[in-house]
Amino acid sequence: MKQLLKVSTADFKLIFRDPSLRIFLFLPALIFLVINIFLPYLISKFEGVNEYVSYVLIVATIENTQMFGFIYSMVLIEEKETEVARVYGVLPVSKMWFVLFRLIIPCLITALLTWAILLIQPFYSLAIMPSLVFSILSGLIVPVYVLGITVLSRNKMQGMIWIKIFNIAVVLPIVAFFVPDSFTHVFGILPSHWAFQGLSDIIDGGSFFVNAIIGFAYFLILLTVAVRKFSKIHFV
Amino acid sequence: MIKVNNLSFTYPRASSPVLQNLNFEISEGEIFGFLGPSGAGKSTTQKILYKILHNFTGEIHIKDKPLGQWGKEYFEQIGVGFELPNHYLKLTGKENLALFASFYNKNRLLKVTDLFEMVGLQDSIHKKVETYSKGMKMRLNFIRAIMNDPDILFFDEPTAGLDPVNGHKIKEYIVNLKNQGKTIFITTHDMTTADEICDRVAFIVDGKLRVTEAPSTLKFRHGENQVKVEAKGKQPAKFPLEHLGQNAGFLEFISTNELLRINTMEATLEEVFIQVTGKALKA
Ligand SMILES: Nc1ncnc2c1ncn2[C@@H]1O[C@H](COP(=O)(O)OP(=O)(O)OP(=O)(O)O)[C@@H](O)[C@H]1O
Ligand SMILES: [Mg+2]
Repeated sequence: MKQLLKVSTADFKLIFRDPSLRIFLFLPALIFLVINIFLPYLISKFEGVNEYVSYVLIVATIENTQMFGFIYSMVLIEEKETEVARVYGVLPVSKMWFVLFRLIIPCLITALLTWAILLIQPFYSLAIMPSLVFSILSGLIVPVYVLGITVLSRNKMQGMIWIKIFNIAVVLPIVAFFVPDSFTHVFGILPSHWAFQGLSDIIDGGSFFVNAIIGFAYFLILLTVAVRKFSKIHFV
Repeated sequence: MIKVNNLSFTYPRASSPVLQNLNFEISEGEIFGFLGPSGAGKSTTQKILYKILHNFTGEIHIKDKPLGQWGKEYFEQIGVGFELPNHYLKLTGKENLALFASFYNKNRLLKVTDLFEMVGLQDSIHKKVETYSKGMKMRLNFIRAIMNDPDILFFDEPTAGLDPVNGHKIKEYIVNLKNQGKTIFITTHDMTTADEICDRVAFIVDGKLRVTEAPSTLKFRHGENQVKVEAKGKQPAKFPLEHLGQNAGFLEFISTNELLRINTMEATLEEVFIQVTGKALKA
């Protein structure tokens, strides 16, 4: 526990001391502004925007995961590029434990911010507990995303490219809402699809149990694979 | 302390092995050096010993226990000095060390401020590492490797890329560690370093070990057992070492001339290396 705090403190020092990372911490604030001020304003001007509000909200919560997704991908890629990662490889600590623990804080903060976005918005009054469960599910995007990108990238340049690709892949399942019903779950290969569908259930006031179960199962499998792969290559 | 039998290793997806049947032992309190050209397999051997590379064949025992049976507590017992400086540049020297220190058992940890003082970095302890010179970063590498007061130390090219002053300091620290009873395994392609600080060296070329011996023994065995005497206005003269004190020619030479220099004709470690392996060190 104390170690977790030490490592997270160091991570946040790294983030705050790097202007290109620090700026990303404003992303949630921007999302809050869009949802609570810009979107209502837009609706007051253009009636037609109303029917898209739920989709904007869904995309907004998922975009919220991109803050720590980007920041931690960059921190870990830099750590690998500068070979600092190797130092962790010779410390008396289990590598898998270390990887998981290190990503708990960004995952938690993301989940809490997502929860806040869902509860503090002028459009729907969403059920509190289902919203929390959904927020935790979307928080899991962060470690999967970060580990996936770090495993695939040798350096920051490659990292930037993979971040773009992952960013599109995370948001793409929004298209599922605009295709004929029989094609909806084609987007299920992309894990964020199940989060999207789940949040849509919650907004409609229905049960999101099935989508949540599939989502959690999918994310946990991906997380397991990513952690294993990551611990094999990051510390060498 | 460290016992290696028939160690072979092939990198995943590589076609041929990088290490072939290595055999060596390192005793407690010894400085042991791997000497060889670039790409010989020095770093690879160390990485296997500090458990970063797996799937080797052969047997490795550390403190009489097979390497595979050591868990994460192994890392309490060892220290690793990496080949290149690797620190968080945006953190200060102290923040870097304190972060990694938090993973070790508190009982054996050395005090961070003492460590900085020991290598003359006390004035830079609160400066970001990005402002450090290469020599300062390497000294930081060095104190990070020893901060948990380990029994076994691995140093990969500890003096590479350092100016003579910093290189000399690092060598002094390593010898100090040996005097404290630590077991030390260094790699180097620098003959002078090997010669100055290693109790024994092993030549490694293309993943194979050639000889393992004390540097002085090697130099003596591969040199001529003669002294070379130079005097003002004279051709240098050579005399056999054996019964030198009774050698009339030698005694006359040194008593009748103004001497400039007397040297034994032992080979340099570099010459021995070339003789033994047929290769030059600087590839
Ligand atoms: N990750 C890797 N995958 C495949 N081959 C590798 C890998 N790392 C090193 N090698 C190869 O293994 C051989 C030995 O490398 P190693 O780094 O052990 O050499 P070295 O003796 O430490 O050299 P140097 O003096 O340059 O540090 C080299 O031919 C190298 O190309
Ligand atoms: Mg090397």
